[in-house]
Amino acid sequence: MAVAIQLHSVTKTYHRAGETLRVLDELDLAMDASTFYALMGPSGSGKTTLLNLVGGLDHADSGKLMVGADDLAALDGSALAQWRAENVGFVFQGFNLLPVLSARENVELPLLLAPLSRAQRRAQAERALELVGLADRMDHKPRELSGGQEQRVAIARAIATDPQILLADEPTGDLDRSTADQVLELLQRLNRELGKTILMVTHDPQAATYADKVIHLDKGKLGRIDDNRTASGAGARS
Amino acid sequence: MALVPLRYNLRSLFVRSSSTLLTVCAIGATVAVLAGMLSLQQGFVNLFSERGRDDLAVFLRKSATSEGESGITLEQCEILTKEIPEIARDDAGQPLASAELFLAVRLRKFDGGETNVSIRGVQPQTFAIHGDDIRVVQGENFKPGQDELIVGRGLIGRIANCNVGDTLRINTARFTIVGVFEGKGGYESEIWGDLDRLGEALERPVRSRVLAKLTPGADVAAIEARYTDDLRVQPQVKTERAYLNSQTQQLSQRFSILGGFLAVIMGIAAVFTGTNSMLSAIGARTHEIGILKAIGYRPFAIFAAFLFEAVLLGVLGGVVGCLLVLPFQGAETGTMNQTFSEVTFAFRTTPRVMVTAIVFAAALGLVGGMFPALRAARMTPTQALRRG
Repeated sequence: MAVAIQLHSVTKTYHRAGETLRVLDELDLAMDASTFYALMGPSGSGKTTLLNLVGGLDHADSGKLMVGADDLAALDGSALAQWRAENVGFVFQGFNLLPVLSARENVELPLLLAPLSRAQRRAQAERALELVGLADRMDHKPRELSGGQEQRVAIARAIATDPQILLADEPTGDLDRSTADQVLELLQRLNRELGKTILMVTHDPQAATYADKVIHLDKGKLGRIDDNRTASGAGARS
Repeated sequence: MALVPLRYNLRSLFVRSSSTLLTVCAIGATVAVLAGMLSLQQGFVNLFSERGRDDLAVFLRKSATSEGESGITLEQCEILTKEIPEIARDDAGQPLASAELFLAVRLRKFDGGETNVSIRGVQPQTFAIHGDDIRVVQGENFKPGQDELIVGRGLIGRIANCNVGDTLRINTARFTIVGVFEGKGGYESEIWGDLDRLGEALERPVRSRVLAKLTPGADVAAIEARYTDDLRVQPQVKTERAYLNSQTQQLSQRFSILGGFLAVIMGIAAVFTGTNSMLSAIGARTHEIGILKAIGYRPFAIFAAFLFEAVLLGVLGGVVGCLLVLPFQGAETGTMNQTFSEVTFAFRTTPRVMVTAIVFAAALGLVGGMFPALRAARMTPTQALRRG
């Protein structure tokens, strides 16, 4: 299987209140393409930081981070913005959508960055919303949607430009169990049917069972990687 | 480069309506002051320029800047009214030219206090020269050689003892008001009477100007040039329009300076309100900025979006400011003109005044929004997502 994301000795530190926090500590990690990863670990273990670096939202202090054939350290702010628009889709924990725009307009946001006609944009946004099962909620504003529906719109927005990688930061953190399961099933479907590489930060062991592999971080270093596909018993969901 | 859809900022303005309203009102009040002063200036300029005619010539003393400063002897008036071939003639072959005496006198205002009012002594030919531009609308015209006066409509209700039948004392002479006249421009703020009677009452042995109707194509510069070396009289000759325009310049500038000064002072406060409003908007929408950045919108797109929002706030404020002054359209007010006399003129909120006011308001929004928009643009995606 092709390697989608490769980290070599990646370090990231933050400076807060005169203190230096080494959030990622010479992390080495390789992630395969078209695989659904869950990223787990205690608070402060570097999960969100890793997600931000892989998504080009931030730069590593040192080390090498390759996503596909792209060396993210070589891209400056504007180039990184362009790279994000073309290569990754993000789903955050909550408040994912711009509240003044309808579901369709929210999904069209990344498409406005692509060279598409208005009709193409609209068609692509509608296709993405249909894929997440919200064809009948396209003109609804976020406040008119349930939490689960909002997250599905966010997922539709993340896949609208057909990026290879989806990054999700606690996408089910604010949802009840059954709604969370629906969102996780959707992510799993996008991985299985469309071959998306998914990296999902979660605290929830049950959410992690939807992933193919679970990466455990601890104090900025790789703890272990569990493979749900080879795990026996109730660990994995197919 | 792709920009954030305008509807995002447009709708955001409506969503936080109370903050929007506050900023729009602050900018609106500032713009209303500017638009108000500009409307007064326009009213003042219109007052004179609309009255000015190119086929009338005004003869003044060489270096006088206004008829109040000018002095022409009776002999010189004779030369100017009779000798100049460019002066048109009436059916009886008489030159359409008249000497005039102009002086400001202190009169009591209707609502208390005193003000300067222009008194103009005119000759019968004056009415022939002006034609329909001067009309007696109440009572009758004064009779030559009599101690009678007619008053401009603009003075009614502003100056005491100016109604038909009233008696007005000028120095020691008592004049009776016999009529009210209407006319274009500043004449409506004057009192007119017989030239010789007013000359005596005011103890003025000289005249202020000669007004004449010109033959078609006559050139006032050529007339003036012809008398350059004449030892009898060396007049300054202008068309009536040019003369009146020169009279409005000083006060018109004063309105502009005063309006500009007030607008700048209030504008500074409005800019701070705008900045504050945009900063709070950006503070409340930091997470949204983070989302836009994560999606791939570049810093310039974020900057442009929030600057657009600020300018839009300004434009809305401009519209409110114009709406605030529009009810005063046509309202009359008075002030001292260049000859220190009371003139009445109307508030004129012209399209040009409104465009100037709205452009000014947009500029306030632009300046007020610059810093917040820069701040939004310079946030890193992770900062924005974390803060939100």
